[in-house]
Amino acid sequence: MKTILRSNDMSCPTCVDSIETYLNKIDGVQKATVHFSTGRIEVEHDDGKVSEQELVEAVREVGYESEVSAF
Amino acid sequence: MKVINNILTNIRNPSQRRNYLLLASGTFILLGWGLALAWNWNRGRDALMIAAALIAGYDILLRAWQGLKNKQANIELLVSIAAIGGLAIGEYWESAAVTFLFLLGAWLESRTLNRTRNTLRELISLAPATAIVLNNGTQEEIPAKNVDREQLVLIKPGSKIPVDGTVKSGYTSIDESAVTGEPLPVEKAPGAEVFAGTMNQNGLIKVRATRAGTDTTLAKIIRRVEEAQEDKAPTQRFIERFARWYTPAIVVLSVAAFFIWGNLELTLTLLVIGCPGALVISTPVSIITGIGRAAKKGMLIKGGEHLETAAKISAVALDKTGTLTEGKPRLTDVISFHPEQIAAGNMADNIISPTYTHFMLGENAEENLPEEAKELLYWTGIAEKGSEHPLSKPLVEEAQKYYARLPEPDHFEAVPGFGIQAEYKTDSIRVGTVDFMEQAGISVCPEVRDKITELAREGRTVVLAALNGVLLGTLGISDPIRPDAGEMVARLRANGIKRIVMLTGDNEDTAKAVAAETGVDEVRARMLPENKLEAIRQLQKEGYKVAMVGDGINDAPAMAAADIGIAMGATGTDTAIETADIALMTEDLTRIPEALRMSKLTLQNISQNIVIALATVTALLAGVLNGSVHMSGGMLIHELSVMLVIINGIRLKWA
Repeated sequence: MKTILRSNDMSCPTCVDSIETYLNKIDGVQKATVHFSTGRIEVEHDDGKVSEQELVEAVREVGYESEVSAF
Repeated sequence: MKVINNILTNIRNPSQRRNYLLLASGTFILLGWGLALAWNWNRGRDALMIAAALIAGYDILLRAWQGLKNKQANIELLVSIAAIGGLAIGEYWESAAVTFLFLLGAWLESRTLNRTRNTLRELISLAPATAIVLNNGTQEEIPAKNVDREQLVLIKPGSKIPVDGTVKSGYTSIDESAVTGEPLPVEKAPGAEVFAGTMNQNGLIKVRATRAGTDTTLAKIIRRVEEAQEDKAPTQRFIERFARWYTPAIVVLSVAAFFIWGNLELTLTLLVIGCPGALVISTPVSIITGIGRAAKKGMLIKGGEHLETAAKISAVALDKTGTLTEGKPRLTDVISFHPEQIAAGNMADNIISPTYTHFMLGENAEENLPEEAKELLYWTGIAEKGSEHPLSKPLVEEAQKYYARLPEPDHFEAVPGFGIQAEYKTDSIRVGTVDFMEQAGISVCPEVRDKITELAREGRTVVLAALNGVLLGTLGISDPIRPDAGEMVARLRANGIKRIVMLTGDNEDTAKAVAAETGVDEVRARMLPENKLEAIRQLQKEGYKVAMVGDGINDAPAMAAADIGIAMGATGTDTAIETADIALMTEDLTRIPEALRMSKLTLQNISQNIVIALATVTALLAGVLNGSVHMSGGMLIHELSVMLVIINGIRLKWA
């Protein structure tokens, strides 16, 4: 399934790499894309292995606050 | 107790945590200076500065570490090394200032950026959360996103429309600026489409829902705009690649500088001023704001790459029907040839020399056409019934006024750019251009040709109709020119567009009449879709960057071949939004020069930002080397340059 997170914490485009790499390493995440311009984080993931809330938690781990968004 | 609890939960939230760190670090710095200035207690100051540096540095170090784990040297790493180095050589105040300023800068930057990021999302949140649905006469208020297809929704005067749908009953006017950027309210009658997020003005209407929640046109547009903003411009990609090598290069350079000069403070200062912060943000900030602003005016520029190309357009090709004209053609002239004259003519050569009768059809006049004219309409109507050509509709509609049950042709073949050949029972009908008649061996006499030319010069599109090889008459169709077409052409020229070319499938005379009235000076008439594509390629060969304006469906090949394809009136039609590089939500033609102007402004803005970023780094570097810039001052100027770049980008909001 695909989950969209939105973060208001990204102040420079290089933040993107850290979040992206971190998310992509998580077991159950197929593909994570982070967009600096809009602050959108798109994650394709296996719902059974990693939940939306765990994704928010993972982004937090890297140092950014985010929330689940409808689109 | 509650306060502590609050703080503890907030610390889990990185944004909140950073705010606390920033506040604490700032307080310690102020206290430190207070101690030093009031009581000359330097030891106390140093202790407080170390604390401030550690507090502000905690978060920077965390991010630097995350980057290192991913094998990336990021800006935070540069700052961390500088701050730790500063503490090691006893420059406590410098370290505290560098970390504090960096954190403060990031806070200000993300706040300012989010204001731009959220402009579009505010639109969707403005759409009401609930809808009043009607069930067998009872009203029920439910969440807007749960409205099902086909459900009836009641919309009161002065309220926002919660779903997409069609008006089932009632009349009103609606402010659709949220979707189209068009400030003038649009009249809505039963059958009309309405969009979620638009503002109902004066009438009470009932709407049959078609789409709700994240499927609405407004949500789709916002998603599209965001995708466009995320699409990286070539400049941005280049800078990001550059920054990926630049940052570790700065580390290496500083180490080298240390070995050359043996000056640790200079080395650390180089790290601080080497941050590519302003450079990496120079392009995205302009693009987010530029595309966002354009979207609010109803122009969807599909991404950074298209924006950069659009800024360089030097030639514009325009389709005639539906672009320069309204695309709602009306039958204005019916010219029937007199059958007895035809019979008396020389049938052996198929040359006819008829006298004809010319009927002009007024907009609302009650017409009473003679039998021969009605017959002309009858046969033309049958042939055109199978066609989807835009000119078919007025012909069929006019024929149906007299023949309510107009039959379908048994066989039908359309030759694009020429006409239609149809069979009905035993009769053969041919409708189309003079060439199309002659291809079938039906000659057109000079008298009729003159009449056709005369009509075409008045801007009419003229078709001939023949039944079983005998010409019945000629029909003139007029498609009114859009009122803002002339202004659009003038503005394109004022914006520096060198060539403005009309590409049309219509004949030369009609095309020239429209061109003359709108100010277009180059006309290519009788163009088949592949000719249009060729014309675009030709302009490109001559060295022009070409934009093609069309409806996104018929002109798709030419639009794809052009450097930029611009689709008009794209609201509600996904294909047009899909195929175009720039999609205009309204039919307002002046948005075409406006979209090109916005692109140019945005590109200029990017260049300004890059200049600011590079000039700052160069000036700082010079300052460091001659010893006039130190760590804290370098960081301050660096952060100021980042803010300057962001503010310059945000200026586009008012462009």
